[in-house]
Amino acid sequence: MTGAVQTLDISPVGRVEGDLDVRVDIQDGVVTNAWTSAELFRGFEIILRDKDPQAGLVVTPRACGICGASHLTCAAWALDTAWQTEVPRNAIIARNLGQLAESLQSLPRHHYGLFMIDMCNKNYRNSPFYEEAVKRWAPFTGTHYEHGVTISGRPVEIYALFGGQWPHSSYMVPGGVMCSPTLSDITRSWSILEHFRTNWIEPMWLGCSMERYEEIETYDDFMAWLNEKPEHANSDLGLMWRMGMDVGLDKYGAGLEKFVSWGYLPDEDRYQRPTIDSRNGAMMMPSGVYDASTGTHKLMEQGFAREDTSHAWYDEPGGPVHPYDRTTQPVAKNDGDFDGKYSWSTAVLHADNGHLEAGPLAREMVYGGSHMEGWQHRDGLVLDMHRKMGGSNVLLRHFARMHEFKYIYRHIERCLRNFRLDEPFYVKPKEQDGRGWGATEAIRGALCHWIDVKDGKIQNYQIISPTTWNVGPRSDEQERGPIEEALVGTPIADPADPVEVGHVARSYDSCLVCTVHAHDAKTGKELARFKTA
Amino acid sequence: MANLLWLQGGACSGNTMSFLNAEEPSACDLVTDFGINVLWHPSLGMELGDNLQQMLRDCISGKIKLDIFVFEGSVVQAPDGTGEWNRFAGRAMKDWVQELSDVSDFVVALGDCATWGGIPATAPNPSESVGLQFLKRDHGGFLGKGFKSKAGLPVINIPGCPAHPDWVTQILVGVATGHAGDVALDEFQRPKTFFQSFTQTGCTRNMHFAYKVSATEFGQRKGCLFYDLGCRGPMTHSPCNRILWNRQSSKTRAGMPCMGCTEPEFPFFDLAPGTVFKTQTVMGVPKDLPEGVDKKGYIKLTGAAKTAAPQWAEEDMFVV
Ligand code: SF4
Ligand code: SF4
Repeated sequence: MTGAVQTLDISPVGRVEGDLDVRVDIQDGVVTNAWTSAELFRGFEIILRDKDPQAGLVVTPRACGICGASHLTCAAWALDTAWQTEVPRNAIIARNLGQLAESLQSLPRHHYGLFMIDMCNKNYRNSPFYEEAVKRWAPFTGTHYEHGVTISGRPVEIYALFGGQWPHSSYMVPGGVMCSPTLSDITRSWSILEHFRTNWIEPMWLGCSMERYEEIETYDDFMAWLNEKPEHANSDLGLMWRMGMDVGLDKYGAGLEKFVSWGYLPDEDRYQRPTIDSRNGAMMMPSGVYDASTGTHKLMEQGFAREDTSHAWYDEPGGPVHPYDRTTQPVAKNDGDFDGKYSWSTAVLHADNGHLEAGPLAREMVYGGSHMEGWQHRDGLVLDMHRKMGGSNVLLRHFARMHEFKYIYRHIERCLRNFRLDEPFYVKPKEQDGRGWGATEAIRGALCHWIDVKDGKIQNYQIISPTTWNVGPRSDEQERGPIEEALVGTPIADPADPVEVGHVARSYDSCLVCTVHAHDAKTGKELARFKTA
Repeated sequence: MANLLWLQGGACSGNTMSFLNAEEPSACDLVTDFGINVLWHPSLGMELGDNLQQMLRDCISGKIKLDIFVFEGSVVQAPDGTGEWNRFAGRAMKDWVQELSDVSDFVVALGDCATWGGIPATAPNPSESVGLQFLKRDHGGFLGKGFKSKAGLPVINIPGCPAHPDWVTQILVGVATGHAGDVALDEFQRPKTFFQSFTQTGCTRNMHFAYKVSATEFGQRKGCLFYDLGCRGPMTHSPCNRILWNRQSSKTRAGMPCMGCTEPEFPFFDLAPGTVFKTQTVMGVPKDLPEGVDKKGYIKLTGAAKTAAPQWAEEDMFVV
């Protein structure tokens, strides 16, 4: 006998460039269906129409203050391809550096500010790790919370040395960057980076040297590391893993098991004459699509991107269209209709593969492939864990994100080593009409901008952010969006406190800590109260 | 003990991200050292963990005393003044904003979107965004010209895109510790202590400004960004070169022109073609002159400056 379906409308579930609401159907304590709905429309694409071609450099970082450097990167590369610029190697390095600094900042900020707080939820009070979790990770008062949140401000000091400030600089421009750093800027950056390593990465996050952690190549290696020393087991990483397993974060949140990454970090000697077509062969971190059901990897190209508005609040023909063909027409009345339109987010699709998950887990799954060139980045750890754990889950998704500190850090070092300070940082381009495309990987996943410049102004500007991939609604073929799918199968221990819904949303990095409120859709009676501490 | 509630409307979270970079005092210090009790914040204030909607209603009914209401992001009024394009906790965000502003001792608008409407309010302003008490230079905004919070002050505007974390934490501590009376506001309701001087105050390129030596292209280690690259430093009220960003630098120090983001007109000229990072001129004279300088004075001044410019001003000053 199966029990009755209970529908919870959860508003808000945290903020994903706006307010995310979730509706879930629960039957016998398990989520059986889910809908995600983005509740803010600002219309940046509309604002950019008919503006200066460079307006994207000012406007798009403000699309998201959390990954503004990534937007800026996309905006700059999009114009570079449209204007057919030359970008000197120093500028490529300076852009990569800015983006990497932003990504490094985001790791402790997400981990302490957003994710670990949930481990202090009273639902976990019977876990043997609970007491320690509260001591370390309780908001404001937790010993590691305060340190982690405060030290997260350091990596972006490096950004400020090159871009003047973080967030919201526009120092990347077509043809290069605005800065021309001196040796002192490089040296200060080194010392900030070192400080971050010796005050957070090694003593608090790992309990060992970075070099020791970098030896880990397989799931077995990881478990051996965990059990090797008490310092490892009791580090924030070690405790997160042990408690995560204890409370079952490895048991749900799988999702679509299809992943996307645009690839990023152009090599400074391979992308000085940027074109859309030459991009894949020039990225240090390769692009890719991974389909876990067939175990196949392939490259990702912008031509595969589609947006579908059949379930989104736009008055545009339903069915998948390429972003160049979007017109961004918001509906006048955005009533929620879960059979029809119910979100400002479009469904982003791959022409052949449908919905794809974006984010750090997606990147790591791509890096496990062998579809890239020999000089491009390859790392099979997370893919190995995915196979051995029997698929994706909340814990693995968060692990994948935090694992990335390792190469972000090394790439920052590489940038600082490779500048040639006597060479140019900017080559003045010739403005011209044309179509451009810029892509990157924000810490939260695949991000890209399409620009169409005509008669010296922007005719069309389209953005697809990682959040759009992940919180997107159903497609025209009724396939659920990635987070919607990941919610299905989630056990809800206490419908009055569906902390598990929050875990799933946050494992995708829904930007900011959220509170979950659930109301019985029919009676309006309050069902849920979600406390994080 | 002051209760603080922080909500976001048509926002990008940039001000929150900036706020988290604060160090003296840090975001955590507000709570642990200065007795600010964050009732709720989209990314921080979870220690009450109460049902948010209930808590908001308790603030409105007076059951919970609301001392400081911080709002980040524009007030979205689309479509047709209903605010439904930005729903929060089950209803239009603008309705929460109105009711919470009415019961709060102090209301703080944080960042350009909350102060003037910001980027979302750029023409054609599809989301019908306004700031709490201004839309660009027009007094009124969402709450109306006559609005005063319960402590008798208009909205305290801390502009900037984003606002610098020190401006924020210092004003919040000032207000929370009973020093609101010392917060003198200018005609745009900005705390004078930060917004009386100019971005140019303390800029490392000042000597190049004085001798009219221009950075003609990006990536030059000398020259002022005013003459060719559109720097608004002499016309913008901000302490960006006094209170450095991320403790390290500022836009102009790093070679990026100031875009005047603390002024109501940001983004200037609504980003019309030909206006981004280019000085707008009429017959060779910049359209916008340093505050208080007229055209005649400018021509005289720059003529003399150019003649007087020493050789070193043309050389790489901040050498590798
Ligand atoms: S760069 Fe800008 S702020 Fe600095 S001196 Fe020149 S005009 Fe003033
Ligand atoms: S330098 Fe100008 S544009 Fe930059 S933050 Fe300061 S006031 Fe805003």
